[in-house]
Amino acid sequence: MTEATSTSASALPNPISAVRSRLATQSGSRRALLLMAPLIAFELLIFVIPFAILLRISFAAPSSDGVYHEGTWSLEAYQQVFASDLIWSVLGYSFFLGVVVTVLSVAIGLFYAYAIWRSSGVVKSLLLFSVVLPLLTTLVIRTYAFDPLLVPAGLVPGTAGVVVAQLYIVLPYAVLAIYSVMATTDWHVVEAARDLGASRPRSVLEVVVPQVMPGIIVAAVVSFAWSVGAYAAPELLSNSITFAIYVEGLMLSDMSYPTAAALSVVMLGLMSGCIAAIFGVLNRFGGDFELA
Amino acid sequence: MSDITLQGLEKRYGETTAVEDVSVEIDDGELLCLLGPSGSGKSTTLRMLAGLETPTEGAIRLDGEDVTDQPAYDRNTSTVFQDWALFPHKTVLENVAFGLKMRDVPTDERRERAQAMLERVQMGGYGDEDPTTLSGGQKQRVALARSLAVNPDVLLLDEPLSNLDKRLREDMQIELREIHDDLEETFVHVTHDQDEAFTLADRIGIMNEGELIQVGDPDEVYENPKNRFIEGFLGDTNFVDATVARTNGEAVYVETELGAELILPSDGAHGLESGDELTLSLRPEILSIDRGEPDAAATATADQRAVTDGSTTNAVAGTVANVIYRGSTVRYSVSIDGASVFAERTDASSGSLSAGDDVTLEWDGEDVLAFRADGSRVSLREP
Amino acid sequence: MTSNLHRETVETVAFRAGYLALFALMVVPLLVVIATSFSDGARIAFPPENLSLTWYVEFFDSIRWLEAFTSSIIVGVGTAALATLLGVLGAFGQEFDDSSLGSVVAPLVLIPLLIPPVILGITLLMYFNEGGLRGSYVSIILAHTLWATPLVYFVMRSVFSRFDWQQLDAAHDLGAGPVQSFVHVVLPNVKHGVFVGALLAFIISLQEFVMALFLSTSTTQTIPVLAWTELRQAMDPMVSVVSTFLILISLGALALAVIATNLEWVSKQLS
Repeated sequence: MTEATSTSASALPNPISAVRSRLATQSGSRRALLLMAPLIAFELLIFVIPFAILLRISFAAPSSDGVYHEGTWSLEAYQQVFASDLIWSVLGYSFFLGVVVTVLSVAIGLFYAYAIWRSSGVVKSLLLFSVVLPLLTTLVIRTYAFDPLLVPAGLVPGTAGVVVAQLYIVLPYAVLAIYSVMATTDWHVVEAARDLGASRPRSVLEVVVPQVMPGIIVAAVVSFAWSVGAYAAPELLSNSITFAIYVEGLMLSDMSYPTAAALSVVMLGLMSGCIAAIFGVLNRFGGDFELA
Repeated sequence: MSDITLQGLEKRYGETTAVEDVSVEIDDGELLCLLGPSGSGKSTTLRMLAGLETPTEGAIRLDGEDVTDQPAYDRNTSTVFQDWALFPHKTVLENVAFGLKMRDVPTDERRERAQAMLERVQMGGYGDEDPTTLSGGQKQRVALARSLAVNPDVLLLDEPLSNLDKRLREDMQIELREIHDDLEETFVHVTHDQDEAFTLADRIGIMNEGELIQVGDPDEVYENPKNRFIEGFLGDTNFVDATVARTNGEAVYVETELGAELILPSDGAHGLESGDELTLSLRPEILSIDRGEPDAAATATADQRAVTDGSTTNAVAGTVANVIYRGSTVRYSVSIDGASVFAERTDASSGSLSAGDDVTLEWDGEDVLAFRADGSRVSLREP
Repeated sequence: MTSNLHRETVETVAFRAGYLALFALMVVPLLVVIATSFSDGARIAFPPENLSLTWYVEFFDSIRWLEAFTSSIIVGVGTAALATLLGVLGAFGQEFDDSSLGSVVAPLVLIPLLIPPVILGITLLMYFNEGGLRGSYVSIILAHTLWATPLVYFVMRSVFSRFDWQQLDAAHDLGAGPVQSFVHVVLPNVKHGVFVGALLAFIISLQEFVMALFLSTSTTQTIPVLAWTELRQAMDPMVSVVSTFLILISLGALALAVIATNLEWVSKQLS
C-alpha cells in the first residue's frame, strides 16, 4: 500500500516552489491583462487622457486672439462660468428638459415594455420592431421627423416640441433597458399577487416595478444623460438654448477653449451629482443594483 | 502507458485550500479511483494531473519526467469531462478527430483513426451526427473516443458517468473496465460513487477536505478503513457512541446507549484508558437478528462471559420498529432502549419479522471497528 | 361581479389603445420621412403633392452626397473593426481575470456612453488638435469607437457568460494551444455574438453625428453631418431621400442580425 499522506520535500520552505506558486496565481491574470491591454490602452488614450487635457485647459488663461495661453494657470474661465447669468439660465433649462424627458421616458417606457412583455407572436415582434427601428435611425432623422413642416396637425413648436422629439430619441433605449430585465422575471409572481387580491394595475406596481428596478435605473440614467446634453432637437425645433448649443458656440464661434472646457467640467460635475441622486433614490425602492 | 508520481501536491485559491499535500504513486497500467464527496479536492487533483490547473506546491511526474509546469496542451494526458464538453459546432467525427488535428495528423489518417475509435465505443454509425442530438450515454461514448483517439499516456476521467441514469451507469462501468483491461493504459477515475469505485478500481484513493486519506485495494480499504470518515462514507453502518469502562489484556469493555456492557476483544495494543470516548461501527452484515429474547448466557455481563467461556459474542434485546424491503434484502430498524440500530438479512432467511416483534441482535465483538473521538481508528490488535 | 367585469374590459381597452398609440408614435414619423422622399417639389411637404423619384435621381448625381456616403462607410467599417477587436478581446480577457482589474474595466468602458456627445466632441477636438489628427477619418473612427466598444463589450460579456468553458479545457487537454483553441473552439461558438456586436458598432457609427460634426471636415463629413448642414440651409426632400437610404441600410443590417440570431435576443443586447 502506498502511504497516502506523507511529509515530502515540499513541506520544507522551498524558494522555487514559492516563486512558482506566485506565478501560478498570476498566470490567469497575466493572460487576462494581455487580452484586455488593447481595450485599456484605448480607453486611456482616447478617453482618460483627453479628459485630463480638457481639465488642464479649463485652468488655462483665456486669450482674446485665439484658443488659450499654453502653460498658464488661471481660474478665469471658471469665474466666467459662475458669474454668467446667461450660462446659469442655459444650464437651468437643460436640466429642466432632462428631468421632464426622463420622467416621461421612464413612465412610458415601463408601460410599453410591459405591453411587449405581455404580448406574444406577431404583436410582440411588431412592438419590438417599433422600438428597434428608431434606434437604428440616426438622430438627425429622428429629430427631422418632428419638423413642423412634416407634422400636418402642426405640432406645438418650442419646448413641448423639443420634449416630444427628445422623448422619441431616448424612449427606445428606455423601453429596451426595462424590457430586458422584465423578460427575465416570472409572470407567476404577478398571478400570485392577483390571487392575493391585488388589482391589475396594483399588481404591476407592487410586484413588477420593484423587480425591474435595475432596468428602470438604467433607463432613467440614460434618458437623463442624453436629454441634458440634447443638441439636435432644441437646435432644430426651437429657439431655446441648451447647454450643448451654448458650448458649441463657445467652442466653434467664440474659440474660447478654456471657458468651453470649464463649462464642460461644471456640467459633468452637475450630471454626476444628478445621476448619483437617481441611483440613490431609485435604489431605495428596488434593492440591489450593481453597475454592469 | 505511464506511471505517475504526485508529490506533496497542493492547490490554494486565496485563503482556501482545495488540495492539501497529496502524494501517491500510480503504477503503469493501473486504474486508480479517487473517491470522495463533492468538494473533497478529487476533481482539482485530476485537473492538476491534466495540466488544467497549476499546483500551488508540489510536483507531478509522468514516467519520471517532471511535468508540473507543462500546460495541458503539451501534456499527453487526456480527460473525459463530467459534462463531456463535446464541441457543439463540430460533428461527432470532427470531435473525435480534434486532438489528432491539433497534432497535425494528415486529414485522411485522422478520419480513419477517429472512425476506428468511434467503432471501438460502438458509435461507428454516428460520425456525421451533431453531438447535441445524442443521448447522454452516446455523448459519454463520444467523449471517451475523443480522449482515447490521441493515444494518451494517461486517461483521466472526471465523473463522466455521474450524469447518466443508474442502469446505464452500471453498464458503462463494466464497459470502461473492459476498455481499460484491453488497452492496458493508466486510468485515473474520479467519482463520488462508492459502488462505482469498487466496480472499477484496481486501487481506491479516498479524499476528504482536500486530503488523500487512504489509498489501497478495494477490499483493503473496505476491511481496514483508516478513520471514521471512510467507514461512514464507504457504506451504511451503525455508529454507536461508547465510553471505555475498563480494559484488561484480553478485551476492552465499553458502555453504550444500547444498554448492556459490550466486549471488544483486544490484545492490549489499543492504548485506551477507562473514560475514553469511542465510536463503534456495527455494520449491518455482522449483526444477526432473531426472534425472541436473548438467553440468560448472552445477557450475562460481558465480563462474566469472557471469564467463563472466552466468548466474544455480544447480544442485546430490542423491538422491530420498521421493515424496509430493498429488493434482495430486507432492512430492519430495531429500537433498543430508545436507540435505533438497523440490521439486514436476505429475505430468504427463515421467519419473516414485522414491526413490534421482540428480537435479539447478536454479533461477534471481533467484527466491530472502533474510532477515537478525533476520528482515528483504534487498533485493537497488533498488526 | 358585472361591475368588476366592466372594469376589466375598460382596463383592457385602455391598455391596448395605449400601446397602439405608442406604436404609431414610434413608426409614423419614419414613414412620414420616407413618404416625403418621393415628392417632386423643391420644398419638403407632407403629404407630398406628386409622387416622383426626382430626388433619388438627384442623389446619385450629387458628388457631395456620394462622398458623404463613402465617408460614412469608411468610418462605419473602421469603427466596427476596431470596436469588435477591442470589445471581443477585452470581454474574453475578463473571463480569465481574477484580479480587481476587471471591476475597473467595465465602468471605464461604459462611462463614455453617458457623457453628452457634445462634451466628447469638444474634448476630442482639443485632444486631436494637439495630436494633429484633426480632420482625418482616424479621428472620427476613434471617437465612434468610444461609443461602439461598450456595446460590443457587453454583448460579448453576455455571450461568454453562456459559453461552456469546459470546452476550452477540453481543447487544451486535446493539445490545442491558446491561439488554436480560441480559433477552433471559442470563436465558432460565439461567432453570432461577434457578428451582432460588429453590426451594432457599424450602426452606431452610421448614425452618430454630434461627435462627427466636431471632428469632420468637408472632405470627411459623414451622411448625418451633411444631412444636418443641409437641413439648416435648404429644406429640400434630399434629406428624406438620404434618410430613407439610411433606414433601409439599418433595416438590412437588422435583418442580417435577425437571421444570425433572433429579434428578441438582439433587442435584449441593444439595451
